[in-house]
Amino acid sequence: MDKLMYLVSEGVKNVWRHKMTTFTAVFSLFLAIYFVGILAIVGDNTHSILEYLRSKYKVEVFFDQDVGIDSAKNITNTIREIKGVRTATIIDKDDAVRIFQDQFGEDILSILGYNPLPISIVVNILRNSIDPLQVDPIVSEIKKIDGVAEVRYQGHLIKKIERTYSGIMKRFPILAGIFIMVAVLVIYNTVKLSVFAREELIKSLELIGATRAFIKMPFIFEGIIDGMLSALFAFPCLLATVNGTNYLITNFTSWHINLLIDATIFLWLILLAGIISVLGSYRAITGLLK
Amino acid sequence: MIEFHNVSYKYEKGRGATNLNFTIDDGDFVFLIGPTGSGKTTLMRLIYFDLLCDTGTIKVGSFVSDDIRRKDIPTIRRGIGMVFQKYHLLNDRNVFDNVALPLHVLGYSGREIPNRVEEALDLVGLKGKDDHYPVELSGGEQQRVTLARAIIKEPEILLADEPTGNLDPVSAFELVQLLETVNETGTTVLMASHNYNLIKGRGRRILELKDGTLRGG
Repeated sequence: MDKLMYLVSEGVKNVWRHKMTTFTAVFSLFLAIYFVGILAIVGDNTHSILEYLRSKYKVEVFFDQDVGIDSAKNITNTIREIKGVRTATIIDKDDAVRIFQDQFGEDILSILGYNPLPISIVVNILRNSIDPLQVDPIVSEIKKIDGVAEVRYQGHLIKKIERTYSGIMKRFPILAGIFIMVAVLVIYNTVKLSVFAREELIKSLELIGATRAFIKMPFIFEGIIDGMLSALFAFPCLLATVNGTNYLITNFTSWHINLLIDATIFLWLILLAGIISVLGSYRAITGLLK
Repeated sequence: MIEFHNVSYKYEKGRGATNLNFTIDDGDFVFLIGPTGSGKTTLMRLIYFDLLCDTGTIKVGSFVSDDIRRKDIPTIRRGIGMVFQKYHLLNDRNVFDNVALPLHVLGYSGREIPNRVEEALDLVGLKGKDDHYPVELSGGEQQRVTLARAIIKEPEILLADEPTGNLDPVSAFELVQLLETVNETGTTVLMASHNYNLIKGRGRRILELKDGTLRGG
């Protein structure tokens, strides 16, 4: 027990004794955790951003002039049955006049003496699909329905958004993998340098008969402390970054997006920091003891 | 007891030790002399198994080089105290922590350690210097800290490799006296030196090395 206490206290004391190497290790670990954290938060929020954008997708279906409100309701029910349709809202002729007046500031009835605007419906698309959304098949199916005169939608924009999302999702794991690998290498080398700087201690311990485990343990504890410290600094920075971004989105854009941090990300980051620093220390010290 | 039977060791770049044969009995005090590069340090390193001999057999206590396993080496070293010319003190720890280090390795309890450190420092004449850092001490004092660190675990064997190499004549003389005091407690002492004047007239056995070969004993 005394031995274990000594090894733990040595790990803690080493952090203080070697402030500069601790600072370097903690700082590089902090940067790695921060950027991996940002990557994780972006990845986590990408889908909610996409859902927001998808909520803006609008397909407008205009009926023939001779389609009455009852027929329009039947057609609307048919459209609601189409796979991929979330909602379909009827805009009758009176609503159309009001919308026209809101948008153009003119009362079309007083200008023309009659209402030329047809009944239409606004179709919203299912937005929570993980796969890229295909609007064209929905539009083709709507166009086949009798009484439908015209279908308008932002086909080009939707395709662009879906293509971009699909591209991001394909590259994201590769990007995250490369980033984590670079972070691991940077941290591993930093820890290795800090271990090499204490070659004298390791040599002395070997000469007085310390076992390999006894020599390694304080470095492992030190690695854990470095990992915890870097996580302690990285978390407030991640929170500040997300809150700052939300502030900018709310105050300077018309988007209704609120970035969220999943608490489990913090747990994963602590685990990552711990594993990287412990493995880095372990491998470096094992290399020196050969 | 230390026994060498036909022991040879060759470094990659040549030299080392050739066909060494000698025995040092328990409680002996032996000087190992020879010019720089004669193989004194090689011989010492062979004793604490920092080097493993190419041919021959080395026996240190109950351990025999022919059957030695890697995991035995720390156990052997716990029974050997070592003092080097370059001190090998840890500059980021004070005297107390440096001297206490072997006791932590041996698993002594926290209550026992301060008394033993105090005794060791008292023996080497450094009482009251426990909170000093190595850089705050003279060369002679640093070497005495090294000696305190070596003897605190009450080793069966004490190896001193050119311990007086960096010391002035008075400090060197005092250190040899200290080693003799340690020897009086039953510890086998092997001290390497190239300073013949320091060891002559002490009535101790002398092993003389030249070009890796033992000339006397």
